[in-house]
Amino acid sequence: MNILVLVKQVPDTEAIIRAQSDTELDIENKYALNFFDEFAVEEALRIKEKQGGGIVTVVTLGSKKAADALRRGIAMGADEAFQIEDPALEEVDGYATAKALATFIEGRDCDIILCGKQAIDDDSGAVGPALAQFLGIPHVTSIVELEIFADQREARAAREIEGGREIVACPLPALFSAQKGLNEPRIPQVAGVMKAMKAQIQKIDLNALGLSPEDVKPKTKILKFYPPRKRPPVRIIGEEFPKNVETLVKVLREQEKVI
Amino acid sequence: MDFAFTEEQEFFRQTVRDTIDRMIMPKVQELDESEEFSFELWHKFAQLGYLGIRHPEKYGGMDLEVISQMIFYEELFRGDVGFAMTVAMQILMGTYFVGRFGTEEIKQKVLVPAIKGEKIGTICFTEDQSGSDLAGTRTMAVLDGDEWVLNGTKMWITNAPTCNFCTVLATTDPSQGLKALNFFLVEEDMPGFSRGQRLKKVGSRSSTTGELIFDNVRVPKDYLLGEELGKGVRYAGEILNEVRVMTGLAGCAIAKMAMDDSKQYANRRIAFGNPISKYQLIRSKFANFWAWYEAARWYCYRCAWMIQEGLPCLNECMLAKMFATEMCMSAVDEATRIYGGNAFAMEYPPQRYFRDARFLLYGGGCHEVLQDYLGRIYLKED
Repeated sequence: MNILVLVKQVPDTEAIIRAQSDTELDIENKYALNFFDEFAVEEALRIKEKQGGGIVTVVTLGSKKAADALRRGIAMGADEAFQIEDPALEEVDGYATAKALATFIEGRDCDIILCGKQAIDDDSGAVGPALAQFLGIPHVTSIVELEIFADQREARAAREIEGGREIVACPLPALFSAQKGLNEPRIPQVAGVMKAMKAQIQKIDLNALGLSPEDVKPKTKILKFYPPRKRPPVRIIGEEFPKNVETLVKVLREQEKVI
Repeated sequence: MDFAFTEEQEFFRQTVRDTIDRMIMPKVQELDESEEFSFELWHKFAQLGYLGIRHPEKYGGMDLEVISQMIFYEELFRGDVGFAMTVAMQILMGTYFVGRFGTEEIKQKVLVPAIKGEKIGTICFTEDQSGSDLAGTRTMAVLDGDEWVLNGTKMWITNAPTCNFCTVLATTDPSQGLKALNFFLVEEDMPGFSRGQRLKKVGSRSSTTGELIFDNVRVPKDYLLGEELGKGVRYAGEILNEVRVMTGLAGCAIAKMAMDDSKQYANRRIAFGNPISKYQLIRSKFANFWAWYEAARWYCYRCAWMIQEGLPCLNECMLAKMFATEMCMSAVDEATRIYGGNAFAMEYPPQRYFRDARFLLYGGGCHEVLQDYLGRIYLKED
């Protein structure tokens, strides 16, 4: 069984991020494998172990830092890693990323594609479903359980929905995006870490994919980054009871508009 | 000259840090308060394979280069110091002599399970009347036919209550001082081996420490760990370089944790209308710490590099251990001042750093002895 996992290196949740200009971010040099992608890698490894064989391939799109996401995947147990890197892919959106990935995957023998339900940096959650569309295969998003019936070439996945769970079946190949709760990602063993340290990351550019920069031109454009509004200081209503309650209700209703 | 870590080493550090953050950090307070060694955590950690970083692949190890090993210790000591001590003991002193001098049979019996964490090892230098003064060792080893007979008591032994085997320093002739010292392997099931009192400690409390008693323990001739009789001190010196750099980096790690916590506190604690980090006297503490910390840390890594390159560095490693440890003492002390009165409460972290750091003063040679030796060496050099 060939399993492909899409991974992304994203700023650590503790990294300090500031908007440098309208379209540029200043990000502290702290990066980690996307939180949801770890569930995807773990699930791929579990499927491989359960099926008693197969190849787990991790793939990412991006420059420099991106390779660390692949190394993390190898440290956990992935067999091979590919990095799609090209100057024309510096500024991409979900569409362009999915397009490049789809071209890479087409023609490869692939039964299952796993990814995180969203990257915690841009939170758009678009790449997985868009990729499945490009490839013309089914996708199930935000899964918390996955069962593979290799003989029947079928998968059954569970998703959490309002007030319960739904079970979805689809034929393979298919794409699944992982939600927290799917599994408990393993901590890499030192043997895996050393393998990852030495691993050769196979790099692929647009030319190798047979794509032109025009093919991966983003469909969307970021106009402006701005930080959330700073929380106003605490305001104490210094009146006597019950006048203060009256004022409070008035403020909440008319100024803050929360009740 | 190149002062940078490689990309691979940076990745290794990141992975170890993440492992410690997930596995150890949430348990630090509980481990300290319980004053017990956690076998559960030990076995879980052992499964990751880190206990083999120093040993050959043939025995299940990873044969990692020295600088990466030191990166591992630096990250390890950010977590629970007691647990880190047991891990460091297992990788370095606890298995060094069996790994270097043990017969193939000994390696299979002791080293292989030690790397898997199935057996816990330790080293026995200290006695109630001797520690840094190795010439004062009283534990005796007498050859009787094909066996060595060991008699004596060892004190302050890390893992004494939990160890399955130990490497014991003993003299074959007390009148010969340092020239008659040798190391012997003793296993817990040998008649005459017993455990004495367990010591209650100020810090690093989740590593258990105590007394081991050797009463006519008979060990086979090949349990003498060393190619030549009387060379024990020289052999010990060779591993002590690594132990000292490890101890220095442990100091750097504890100091950084203490000051990073203090940074958070200083930014939040309000006094006279401002966070205390706005006051110059508080800022100066961070600036001073920063300078000493960088100097200590990079000097430790220089020593690690010297070990890796096979350069003689006995004095350098002593200097690194002493300097980094003193830097740590000052940092944990400053942390207790930044926290003010709250540092005196058990619910705030500075007291733990303050207590845990103390062991660094004695492990790898107490500072007064190192200072005396290093001063003598410096005065001799022209």
